[in-house]
Parts: sequence; C-alpha cells; structure tokens
Amino acid sequence: MIYSCKQSFRRRSAAIGITATILGAGLATGCSSSSQPASSGGVVTIEFATQGLGAEEAATNAAIAGFERANPDIKVKDFVLSTNTSDALQQLTQQFVAGSGTPDVIESDVIYPATFAQSGWILPLTKFHPDMSKFFPGQVASVEYNGQYYGMPWFTNAQGVFYRTDLVPTPPTTPQQLVTDAQQAMKKDPSLKEGLAFEGDKYEGVICNYIDFLGGFGGSLNANNLNTPANAQALQFMQDTIYKYKIAPAAVTGWQESNVQNAFLSGQAAFALNWPYIFPLADAKGSAVQGKIAWIPFPSNTGQPQAALGGDDLVINAKSPNQAADWKFIQYMDSAQVQIARAVAAGDAPALQAAYSGTLYAKLPYFRQAEKVFAVTAPRPVTPAYPKISAELQTMLSSVLANQETPQAALSGTAPTVKSLFDAKGS
Amino acid sequence: MPADSRQPEHAAIATADDHDRRESSARGLAGDRRTPRSSGARRRADRSVGYLLVAPAVIALLAITGFPLVYNLWNSLHTVQLADPGAGHGFSGITNYKELFDEPGFSADLGHTLLFTAVSVTFEIVVGLALAVVLNKKFKGRGIVRAAILIPWAVPTVVSAMLWKTMVDPQDGLVNYVLRTLHLPGAGVTWSANAWASWAVVIAADAWKTIPLVAIILLAGLQIIPADVYEAAEVDGAGGWRTFWKITLPLLKPALMVALIFRTLGAFLVFDVIYILTGGGPGSSTETLGYLNWKAFIVNSDFGYGGAISVALVVLSLIIAFVYTRLLRPST
Repeated sequence: MIYSCKQSFRRRSAAIGITATILGAGLATGCSSSSQPASSGGVVTIEFATQGLGAEEAATNAAIAGFERANPDIKVKDFVLSTNTSDALQQLTQQFVAGSGTPDVIESDVIYPATFAQSGWILPLTKFHPDMSKFFPGQVASVEYNGQYYGMPWFTNAQGVFYRTDLVPTPPTTPQQLVTDAQQAMKKDPSLKEGLAFEGDKYEGVICNYIDFLGGFGGSLNANNLNTPANAQALQFMQDTIYKYKIAPAAVTGWQESNVQNAFLSGQAAFALNWPYIFPLADAKGSAVQGKIAWIPFPSNTGQPQAALGGDDLVINAKSPNQAADWKFIQYMDSAQVQIARAVAAGDAPALQAAYSGTLYAKLPYFRQAEKVFAVTAPRPVTPAYPKISAELQTMLSSVLANQETPQAALSGTAPTVKSLFDAKGS
Repeated sequence: MPADSRQPEHAAIATADDHDRRESSARGLAGDRRTPRSSGARRRADRSVGYLLVAPAVIALLAITGFPLVYNLWNSLHTVQLADPGAGHGFSGITNYKELFDEPGFSADLGHTLLFTAVSVTFEIVVGLALAVVLNKKFKGRGIVRAAILIPWAVPTVVSAMLWKTMVDPQDGLVNYVLRTLHLPGAGVTWSANAWASWAVVIAADAWKTIPLVAIILLAGLQIIPADVYEAAEVDGAGGWRTFWKITLPLLKPALMVALIFRTLGAFLVFDVIYILTGGGPGSSTETLGYLNWKAFIVNSDFGYGGAISVALVVLSLIIAFVYTRLLRPST
C-alpha cells in the first residue's frame, strides 16, 4: 500500500508538474503582450529600442546615463535590436502586431517611418510641436507622412563620391567630367584597376547609388512617376560607366559597400561611391590613401546634386503609456551636446545642423566636407509600400547593370508596377 | 559490418528473449504481490501512465509542427497583410492561390527551381557516389579523410556562400585568378553579371556543401553490402564496371533513395545560398520558389500570399517524395 501510494503520488506530481509547465508557459506568453508601465514612486521606465553595437552602444548608454541624471523621474531601459536592418524590422513588427506598449522609443531606419505610420503603430508628433527646421531637410522628409511628422531625425548618413585628390586635382562638376577624370586617372596611374567603384549588387545599396546618379541628371526617385527622360538618362549613364566608358568594372554588379571600400582604400579606384564611414578608415593604418581623399555629392548637370539619404530616426510607439517621457528623451537625444558626443565617440553624423560647428570640426575635421553632402540628401520614396518598391527597383537595376535589359526598357517595364504598389498603399 | 547481416537469427532470438522476460516479469510482479486486481486493469492503468508520459512529447510536436501547418493553411485562405492592418483579415478564398498562377514571378521561379533541383541533385549524386566508392576502398589515412570530407557540410551555408561570393569576384577572386593563370576559358567572366554564370556559381556552392552529405549516406549504404557478393562476382569473372552496375547500384538503392529524397527536397526549397550569393539576380534570373516565399513573407509582410506559396511548396515536395518512393521501391 505504501508503495502504490508513493507511486500514485509521484504520478500525480508528475502530472501536476507537466500541467504547471504548460500553464506557466501559457501565462508567461500571455503576460508579455500586456505589459504595464512599470512605475514605482512616480518613476516611469521607458524602453528604448536601438540597433547599435560596440562604440554606438557605448555612446547610447552614455547618453542614457546623462538623461537619467537630468531626469531622475525617468528610467531608460536599453532594448537591443538586431544590427541587420531587415531583422530589426521583423523584431519590431512582431512587437507592434502583438500590440505591445514597449519598446516606447524606437530607433528606426529612415526607410521605415511611413510603413509604421500607415499601420498606426507610431505616434504623430504634431501635439509636441516639433521644430523640424533644425535638421537637414532630406531627413525631415523621411519622417513626414500624410502631412504629419512621425519621428525626429537622430543621426544622418549619405552616399557621396569619394575621390583621390592626388589623381583628380579639381573635383568634377558634371557626370561627363567624372568620366573623363576617371579615364585620365586610369591612364596616369596604371596600378589603378578602376576609375569608379560603386555598389551594383542586387540589394538596397544599388538603389542608394541610383539616387546619386539621378541627381547628376536632374532626375528623382519618384515612385509615382519613375519613367522620366532624366531618370532614363541617369540609368543609361550608370550602365555606360561599365560597358561604354569602362571606368567601372563589371564586377560592381556583385559589389556591396565592403567591396567598394576595399577597392578604394587599397588605392585601386579613383572614384568611389560610399558612406562617410570611409573617412576614419582612410586615415587608419594599412590604408593606401591616407591624406589623399575628399568627398563630394555626385556631380550634377543641373547644379542640383543629390545624395542618397541613410541614417536613423527616433519614433514613438503609439501604444506607449509614457509619451511625455518619450518625447523628453527624444529631445535630449537630439540636443547638440549629445549629437556631438555621439559623433565623436561612434562617428554617427548628427542630424542636427547646429552640431556642425567648431567643436565638432576640431575633433573630426572631415565633417566640414560631410556637411555639404548631408545638405543635399534625398530620401528613398517615403511610402509604406517602400519595401515592395525596393524589391522591384533592385531587380530592375540589377538587370540593367548586368546588361540584360536596356535602361529604357527596364524603366518602362518597372514604372507601372512601382506606381501601382505606390497607389495601392496611398501616400 | 557484413558480420551483422549474417546473424539475422541471433537478432530475432534476442528480441524473442526480451519479450519473454518482459512478460514473465510482469506476471511475476502480479503474482508476487497477490493483488486482487486483474491483470487487465493493471494493463489499462499502465497504458494510461504511458499515455500520460508521452503526452508532453505529443503536445510539443503538435504545437511545433501541427499548429504552424494549420495556421499557415488558414493564413493562405485569408488576407493577412501584417504591415497594412487596414486591409483587414477577411476570408479571401482562393485569391492567394489564384495569384500564384496570375503572377509571372511564380511560374518563372518554379522553372528556375526545377532546373536548379535537376542539375544540382544529378551533379551531387554522381560526384557523391564517386567519392563514396573511393572512401569505401582501403587506403592509408582513410579515417582522417572520411572525417575531413564532412567539413564543408559543417560550415554554415551563409558562411560558405559568402566565401564563394568572394572567390568569384572577377577582379580579386580566386576563381578568375586561377583561370587566368592557367589560361583557361572563363577568366574574364563576371559571374554576377550573367544569368548562366550566376547559376553555375550557385550550383557549385550548393554542391560543395552538400556532396559530403551524399557521400557519407552512400558510404553507409556501400558498407552494408556483404563482401561475399563481390567475392562471388569475382569468381564468376565479372569486371569492375559490371560489378558496379549489376551489384553495387541495385544493392545501394535504399541508400540512394535516402540521399535523393534528402537532396531533392533540400534543393527544391533552396533559399540561403541564393539569398547570399545573388539575391535572385541578375535581374530575377536566379530567383527560386524559396526566395519568392521569403520575399512574400519578409519583404512584403504578406502572410496570405506567402502562406499560399508555402502550401504550394509543401504539395510539390510531397509529390516529389511520393514519386521517389514509387520509382525506387525496393524490388523484393
């Protein structure tokens, strides 16, 4: 009897254990989606979702510490997202779809605010009366959707043209001149493998490069009206750099930023399209181009160049229960002192125009050149349909650069699809 | 290994023994304790304990495989646009499935997928078989070679695909360098700018990674072929090729079938190697169904259409598996 009693007890406890585990798991998942604002004694905690690692994360933590000192009633918790932009988007989408109130404040790539806004996931900032004139206009455009601002620029980025000052004494002012300069440089220095290096792989970067080329001919990446003569001209020129002018190697059809970086830093290219992160690398040990580089917007026939906008904005979760605290935090992150500190510590370019001053230049002189490129940034189409449009544009650009299609045929083929995607999602 | 196959009776006896012992111990237990309960009740109680014990595993399995399958099927019949809550979650009938046929992308990608599957699986099986035959021979350092051959299989696909991408860079890559140095054709090829060249790289990268798996599966199959069959063939005067075609291949059928099903389904669902190497480019020449599915789910957040593609993939995979089991059924 004792034996069987024990056995049945064991049996029951096992059953209870299993039930408890299942229930526990159920409760745990049930809880996570309905998290309450953790407030104790008037202190609110906000969660800040960021992507950065290393120096960027350290800079973020330093800024958070400073903010908490200045605002003892607000605690900020760091919520680290994947460094891969599309993975980070997935993580955020899951939180949003689950209706979570956290994270409260979110670092968002400049291509996503419109998508979040149309879904009602992020807060329009109208009630806080944000002063957008302080920021570079290209990035302000990235947060504007349906006439309202849905985020604040945080740090900016742009694709411009790096060139070798020792091979190209005066920077080109037209695309044609860039070609002649590149050809001459290749003649002058036979060790030069390519005149122009750019990102032509089938990925997001090829669109950024196309935006730069568009500026050269007065075109624009308007999802509503893609098939314009200027856009066709720019696309033709982009293809011609490989097959007609032969200043860019066909290899660029598989190149991303790192390939362009390697080509330029090892002294193989006269011109290279890339982001300003190249500056500190060019001065680092092992670089073949120390003190021999400069950075300009892609030269333009119309005198109105454009540089593809990168960078990140700060947005507020529409379900955040602590919106006043969220806004306070964003303003702090956008203050000149924090922006400059971040630039110095992690190289992130301030979105705040006022940050470009003596203090910043003294530490990082290259920001003098960078400011001129940031001033002409152009965002990728600001529409919730952008991810879909991007996939279409990548396919189009890839087929043109691989010489599978003529630029005009590719544009005429893709423009209606892009327009219908744009129209379906509204503007 | 051949020793095992010569002792089938022993195995059968052992199982019978086990069975007897279990029976007797059950009887003994009941007898010793002299409980008034019948052994039937006892057995029922045991069975319910059994059910209780397997319940967590069954529940976990249902939760992990059953639920997503059903949920995906449900999604495929509804409008599920994650990034566009305004579109609603209404029942959409077969709209998503109709889109499979209306969208030119699907049929084109189906063609690419079938082409890739046919070429890569053929290539992998042929080379894998050759490797397995070599590894089955006795030579010095065979153990090390057998272990080393698995290394490519152990490298994550993302890493090996990245490696291949670097190797086929026409300016700084190893492949063009070697071709150039040896004055072979193809030295000037820009792999990423040409559809066929891109396919060649994708197939090479996929084969490099999966041939070891095929070889190991087939090697295991070769090792259970008893040596006396070969001895008999030798006595009868059969040559190497004849032995291979008449003895090795037919006896290898079960292992071949495992390798074929594994590789065909793997190739049919290919995604990672293409995502890293070509992104479906140039243009959309190397897009496969797996890539299209990823695009629908992740890029477009369209779980309805993505679900429909998934269901189509499952159905097509089942057909392939069915055909294989029919074609290669062991002829007993």
